[in-house]
Amino acid sequence: MIKTFTHETLLRYVYNELPANEQQAIEQALQHDAELAASCADLLLAQQALNGLRRTPSQRTTDSILQYSRTFLRKE
Amino acid sequence: METMQPSDSALISRYIAGQEDAFAQLLERHKARVFTTIMLIVRDEDVAEDLLQDTFIKAVHTMKSGRYNEEGKFSSWICRIAHNLAIDCFRREKRSPLLNLDTTSHAFNSLSLAEEGAEAALTREETHARLRELIQELPAAQKEVLIMRHYGDMSFQEIADATGVSINTALGRMRYALINLRKKMAAQPVFYDQNLYPRDAAPVRVQRIAS
Repeated sequence: MIKTFTHETLLRYVYNELPANEQQAIEQALQHDAELAASCADLLLAQQALNGLRRTPSQRTTDSILQYSRTFLRKE
Repeated sequence: METMQPSDSALISRYIAGQEDAFAQLLERHKARVFTTIMLIVRDEDVAEDLLQDTFIKAVHTMKSGRYNEEGKFSSWICRIAHNLAIDCFRREKRSPLLNLDTTSHAFNSLSLAEEGAEAALTREETHARLRELIQELPAAQKEVLIMRHYGDMSFQEIADATGVSINTALGRMRYALINLRKKMAAQPVFYDQNLYPRDAAPVRVQRIAS
């Protein structure tokens, strides 16, 4: 029997939130279901694009936070 | 051989016990995710840097005063603090807006020009700036879930709890956020230009991101 998966399940899969048994089932389905694989690829492309937006704060800000933590320790 | 990284929980215990280097590791591990979460809400780099400091200062106070609750994930907790501070700030700014609409300033601070060349870096940054704009155009509820899940590392259940909706609603909002983004991205094919992602040039394989 062919098991169908909702988009919500696929979403939980690509964000690594499915229990192991459901994860295995979806991975098997992905090998045979081209439409499901295409939807999955779309989600992964979206993730890849979103990952590109990650920004890092300046070193100055990082240093200030670390300095605050060290100072806080001395105050206590 | 890959070395085992200490868990967040182990780092927090060491930090509370007085080891400052553990906090430095925690900060290093989470600062980009938290900073991106804030940036996507307030859209001003200077404000985001201030709010990042406020976020971690709150965390320092909570952990060092023994009030840290070990039950949830540190990543979700710190991103919730950041999200709340950023939303408060955004609401204040809406009442008396700062005239800083330049989302491309400091364009090169996270790019390596030597590695990919100035032109490619500029194209990449322009693409990212457009994607940031598209995220801003999403309905508020969809944008909130997208930021919390993708950058805040909160599970869909945690988002549902934090926003007072069912997990299916949170999943549905994320789904429509991605559908909306995809539609807008399809209208601007440069987003899918693989040349923009030279380090990930391999064909897309079924490989989930680490959470």
